[in-house]
Amino acid sequence: MTTKNKCAKPLGIYLLTVFAFMLLFVLCIKPMNASNTVFYIIYMIFSFSPAIASLITRAVTKEGFRDMKLHLKLSGNFKWYLLAFGLPLICFSAKFLLPVILSGHADWLGGFTAQNVLSNLFTLAAMSAVMSIGILGEELGWRGYMNRKMEPLLGRVGTCIVGGIVWGLWHLPMDIFGCDGAISDAFAMCGGRMIQLTLFGVFLMWMTKKTDSVFPAVIGHYMFNESQGALANLLYQGNIPENADLGVIADVFEFLPMFVVAAVFMVMLLSDKNRTSKTV
Amino acid sequence: MTGLVYKEWKQNRWFILSMIPCGFAPLLALLLLREQITSVNNIALRIGGLIAGFLAAGALQMLVLRGDDRKLWGYWITATPDGYKGFLRVKYEMIFGMIVLLMFSVQFVDMGYCAVAADMGKADAVQISGIALPLCFVQILLRAIDIPFVYRFGSKKGSFVKLICLIVLVIIMLTFLILNIEHSDNIIESCKKVINVQNSSLLLSVGLVVCLALYYLSYRITCRLYLKGVEQYDH
Repeated sequence: MTTKNKCAKPLGIYLLTVFAFMLLFVLCIKPMNASNTVFYIIYMIFSFSPAIASLITRAVTKEGFRDMKLHLKLSGNFKWYLLAFGLPLICFSAKFLLPVILSGHADWLGGFTAQNVLSNLFTLAAMSAVMSIGILGEELGWRGYMNRKMEPLLGRVGTCIVGGIVWGLWHLPMDIFGCDGAISDAFAMCGGRMIQLTLFGVFLMWMTKKTDSVFPAVIGHYMFNESQGALANLLYQGNIPENADLGVIADVFEFLPMFVVAAVFMVMLLSDKNRTSKTV
Repeated sequence: MTGLVYKEWKQNRWFILSMIPCGFAPLLALLLLREQITSVNNIALRIGGLIAGFLAAGALQMLVLRGDDRKLWGYWITATPDGYKGFLRVKYEMIFGMIVLLMFSVQFVDMGYCAVAADMGKADAVQISGIALPLCFVQILLRAIDIPFVYRFGSKKGSFVKLICLIVLVIIMLTFLILNIEHSDNIIESCKKVINVQNSSLLLSVGLVVCLALYYLSYRITCRLYLKGVEQYDH
């Protein structure tokens, strides 16, 4: 059996299992709307579904539970952990702050005092070490399993694109629930997120390959989620007018920082691959 | 390294997994003292349960250090490719992982409780995870203090030496306070100046990061002291 055939079957089982969880979520939307407890239980199961799917696939295909990239690999890789912490923060700072500054509204950033910024930065640093464990439910599946099975089939570029689309699509049931069943709104929200996740997925894939551990990706993913909230919170503390509209510049910066990150890490992923094949 | 992780898992898996039931302590406190429940919030009872859970978890975390204070083990692990530093790193990572697991369990139970309470029409049930977070960092700090003592003096003698050190520290602080009793107002005023509403969040966040830094520092100190400790173990 070739490597491609070896990977195709587990990948198929994995994706089917993940989509079965998505279907479960969609089917349960009505009872979830009626009961907080049902919502909580289904939401928790769904949040961990990529990891559960990877465990189920490993059991079904009898490939075992070795090499799940669960070692921290801290020694020698601490700088990459710091990068996983800092890069999403820099990206979202550029996304939120640069349009405001470039359009001449720096006075809106009154909430960004040294004290507030440092306080948020330290809190995020502490929380990312202790609270990011929930993200393992996703990263164990996406980076720890799916990407590795996809790579021999689709190559690195294909894995980043298709993996990002799958990752983005997985959030669709939550968007449908969040939009109260307004499907067009849910698809619009899911589409925007899919682009962001596909671009950010390149960085997470590079990070996982570099450190041979899913934990830097866990930190990066946690910071992707939390830094947006922290920055938005600081923005709201400023004096932004209610009808504020930055126009095209805000739309440009919506994806530009993440696009730059994706381009840089895609080049690094491909150059790492070339270096490895030359060595072999 | 995988071998060391495997050894720790085989030896301590029940202690590691016991962090999950420790997170259920607030719920257990509500069940045991259900006659005293006055409102669905029961915040005092839940916080009491939470603290009890953290104390129990702390005791269980210390139990994973038992059995390693043996000369033969110390010499053997030093001779392996990972060395005693690898062994200590896995220990520190495991205890940190136990604290993270406890925190996850506490949050899981807390959010579940609030969801059930909301279904019962009691939307005013508040989450206590906000209190769990500082407790979690206090636990990290306490382990950062405990572990070097255990490896330097052995588990029994280590707790005794730690107790003596703490008593000495308290005596020094009390002496300092008594000697400066006439300046106590100034000390209180300067403390109030440092800790005020404006910079309390900054101080708290710095404190959290300092706890993490001290945990790492504790690992480095233990690495320095370990071989001296091995020489003095009883058997």
